[in-house]
Amino acid sequence: MNPRAVTASFKQQAIQFMADPQWIIPSIVSPFLFTMVMLYIHQDVTGPVVLQAVLGGGVLGMWANTIFASSFTISYDRMNGTFESMLLSPTKIFDILIGRSIWNAFIGLVNALLVFAIAEMIFRTGVSLANPIGFFFILALTLMSLASFGMLISTAFVFSRMGRFFSSVAEYPIYVISGALVPISALPVGLQHISYLLAPSWGVDAMRYAAFEGYGSMMGTSLLTDIIMMVMLSIAVLIIAYFIMNKAERAILSAGSATRY
Amino acid sequence: MTCPEYAIVAEGLTRTYGPFIPGSAGKVAVDGISFKVRKGEIYGILGPNGAGKTTTIKMLSTMLTPTSGLAEVLGMDVRDGKNIRALRKRINVVSGGERGLYYRLSGRQNLEFFADLYGIPKKDQKALIESLLSLVELIEAADIKVENYSRGMKQRIHIARSLINSPEILFLDEPTIGLDPEISRGIRSLIKKLSDGGTTVILTTHYMFEAEELCDNMVILSRGRIVGKGTVDDIKSSISRVSSLKIITEEDPSDVTASLCRENLDAVTSRLLNERYLTKITLNNADRAFTAIEDLFRPYAISSVGVEEPTLEDAYLTLVNEGL
Ligand SMILES: Nc1ncnc2c1ncn2[C@@H]1O[C@H](COP(=O)(O)OP(=O)(O)OP(=O)(O)O)[C@@H](O)[C@H]1O
Ligand SMILES: [Mg+2]
Repeated sequence: MNPRAVTASFKQQAIQFMADPQWIIPSIVSPFLFTMVMLYIHQDVTGPVVLQAVLGGGVLGMWANTIFASSFTISYDRMNGTFESMLLSPTKIFDILIGRSIWNAFIGLVNALLVFAIAEMIFRTGVSLANPIGFFFILALTLMSLASFGMLISTAFVFSRMGRFFSSVAEYPIYVISGALVPISALPVGLQHISYLLAPSWGVDAMRYAAFEGYGSMMGTSLLTDIIMMVMLSIAVLIIAYFIMNKAERAILSAGSATRY
Repeated sequence: MTCPEYAIVAEGLTRTYGPFIPGSAGKVAVDGISFKVRKGEIYGILGPNGAGKTTTIKMLSTMLTPTSGLAEVLGMDVRDGKNIRALRKRINVVSGGERGLYYRLSGRQNLEFFADLYGIPKKDQKALIESLLSLVELIEAADIKVENYSRGMKQRIHIARSLINSPEILFLDEPTIGLDPEISRGIRSLIKKLSDGGTTVILTTHYMFEAEELCDNMVILSRGRIVGKGTVDDIKSSISRVSSLKIITEEDPSDVTASLCRENLDAVTSRLLNERYLTKITLNNADRAFTAIEDLFRPYAISSVGVEEPTLEDAYLTLVNEGL
């Protein structure tokens, strides 16, 4: 890894974002609607249900942001012609994407907190977290696991402008499969297997541990297992993304497709 | 075959795109071209739209893998993946047009970003960027977002970006396209300055005067093949010489003109405002026929004689059309 390139692309992404932060809106609106719907279905705006709904909404927000930002980041460069300038430099695209993903994860956190805050303002539930410090620690880890997923999505865009297809396909299923919407145990068995392979599922479970007193894991494991699984799966995804990215870099040089958008 | 005298050696360099329709043949964009570029020279790649200039530059600058053939850049084989990053540190590319910059970043921020991508030490960056900004005369506009730049300013910040790693070889793909004469001239003198400083420059352009003014050597491509190679003079003299002779006389030489036309020469006489007569004759081998023709006009009181040598554009057009 090249720390200089990582910081530079973090900074570049931040300036770019600050110049036009409007795209945070879609990733707040839809998760928030989800939270509302959950609450009205249950017609119960007290205690665990609210927390469950708000948590789900927050995770959706982070995921929507990850998808949006990690797809946008490379398509923007392709459209702008900066993808070629980036590729021309001796820095690996992977390092540039790490920097950007860290910024995007940070915005994801802001995004989740906004969803929490808005929900709290409207429903005035006054729910409290069982373990606030643990909760934020796990929230941050979950965010990292989402960011590593984002890296994987970005590789699709390095490969080809067709990445858009991949990212729109990935958006909604993850809501369901990760257990952010409904408990994993409610899913068909086949899907449950996939859930276990996704770092965010473990993150969502771990967050619930920290949020609810006496939570019974939907994964049937302990909090520690959740955290270990999340971290290991995220690292695995990062390694896969790294290899795909290097392959993608070679593929575009031989296809001559760096200028397409 | 590493030869330190040459910055670039291309042999049988070929690139095919596609096939986009399975089973069909791909498009041969560059078709077995060979040339050598000496260190420190300005080397032109000329040719009509679609001739393969950009494709050649991309292959030489590690941005496109050749289909076959050899290309050694700074002694390194561009096809060897292990050389790519080492090579990218030592070369840079500017493409004409407005793409390739971060519009929401200022000119300075763009340069800072790329300086980091090229691993320029932080302590050297400030001075380097300042000197590049002053080289391209963008000191005042440095902190304005690139989206507010004019086309000429964008192109100049591009050039500054390309110099961030002090490249040994600079590839310029139509660097003055769409720019006004004054800015173009500024860019041409910058190119000369870089070349004087030892940078090898590969330049593509559609402007013949630009090639003539700047290039030590050049190739002319047509449909992916080399149809002309050498210095400007080599190229001019590689076509069968076409010159035109202009004779101004006091009296009307129409009879002679008519007889020349009967010999299948391209000759026209016109009457000038000052009551003199201008006759234009296009000759294929001027040196031989020149004096003989002048003699024919002597009885009509010659007041002046001029010869127009073929221009690079004449040679270019002839070569490119022969290549079809
Ligand atoms: N990425 C690509 N995919 C498919 N075909 C391509 C690609 N890039 C170029 N070509 C084709 O290869 C040929 C050479 O193109 P190239 O861009 O190298 O020409 P050029 O000499 O730079 O032309 P111009 O003067 O218009 O810039 C053209 O026929 C073009 O259509
Ligand atoms: Mg071109």
